[in-house]
Amino acid sequence: MANIATQRIKREFKEVVKSEEVARCAIRIDLVNDSWSELRGEIAGPPDTPYEGGVFALEILVPETYPFNPPKVRFLTKIWHPNISSVTGAICLDILKDQWAAAMTLRTVLLSLQALLAAAEPDDPQDAVVARQYKEYHNIFKTTAQHWTAIYAGGPNRIGEYETRVTRLVDMGVDELTARAVLSANNWDLERATETIFS
Amino acid sequence: MASSSSTASTEEASTSQPEKKEETKQKKEDDGEESDKESDEKMFECNICLDTAKDAVVSYCGHLFCWPCLYQWLETRPNRQSCPVCKAAISRDKCIPLYGRGGSGKDPRSKIPPRPPPTRTEQTDNGRFSWGSNEGNGGFHMSFGIGAFPFGFFASAFNFGAPGTAPAGANFMTPQQIEEQEFLSKVFIWVALIFIVWLMLA
Ligand SMILES: [Zn+2]
Ligand SMILES: [Zn+2]
Repeated sequence: MANIATQRIKREFKEVVKSEEVARCAIRIDLVNDSWSELRGEIAGPPDTPYEGGVFALEILVPETYPFNPPKVRFLTKIWHPNISSVTGAICLDILKDQWAAAMTLRTVLLSLQALLAAAEPDDPQDAVVARQYKEYHNIFKTTAQHWTAIYAGGPNRIGEYETRVTRLVDMGVDELTARAVLSANNWDLERATETIFS
Repeated sequence: MASSSSTASTEEASTSQPEKKEETKQKKEDDGEESDKESDEKMFECNICLDTAKDAVVSYCGHLFCWPCLYQWLETRPNRQSCPVCKAAISRDKCIPLYGRGGSGKDPRSKIPPRPPPTRTEQTDNGRFSWGSNEGNGGFHMSFGIGAFPFGFFASAFNFGAPGTAPAGANFMTPQQIEEQEFLSKVFIWVALIFIVWLMLA
């Protein structure tokens, strides 16, 4: 990696480790390899959101041209959010694209992602299905996001009724992740989910 | 912040346990000095490389950078130049070089760090190439010397004319100046070629 990129990542790493957010377990960064070009991030789901109680892992790839270009970040933990792909974990956030500024750091990126979890922007979606549910069936969106947080991120609000329906599909030979994703996309309507899968 | 709350707790502890007071106080002073020094250094860190700013410039919005770092940032987004910290409008001419004691006093902006200026060497090579093949003809060498003079003069005239460029920076050129120089040198080579042809015919 370019010298300035490595040097900066090392400094930022120290900054994050010493930060008060780490002290209260809101964010965290770990090294993946010795080259400093790939890091693993972690953010806690913000309080009073469906993500509360969950811990979300992030893949952080540092480009050669860092900090002149933004790091490439995606969610490794599955999450139900209008601005994050429920399939790939890709993130739609302006500061990770054209609104990036060289003075931003890994710490500010992680805090911005946490802020994104607390304030979705459904009009600029990454996942159109989630965004539509967010706007049209907001209560279902909230329970679905809570349920995903419980299943994938260790959150507390697992919804038994939803899992029963997942099991029904699994019994029909559908794999669990697909079953959960299709049910979520169909507002947990078992009939419509079955139709989507088998048609 | 963590540091202020720990200071408070040390104070509490020292009032209840007078025999430990000296020790804790000493520790507190050490901590204080260290963090003071640290924050002093951080004051002068470049907002891009996070190191102590070299060839420092400050934007109108008050943000400190190394000139090489800021230059690279401006080059990365030539169409939307904004401050890397506060996103205020920013440009080469909208920042002020900082001169500390013991610095070189040269305008840091007259340097273009990521781009070495190869134009100058290329040019002398071109000149030598076309003249070297005509050894023994003194007239050519002389005309080259004469021809080169106004070109050198132009280059430095442009340099002095550029806003905000200190005379000390005359050795360095902006891309625009390099372009002008390239153009002038092309004109010069053509004039020289015509001159050769004319000499041969004559
Ligand atoms: Zn710098
Ligand atoms: Zn600024």
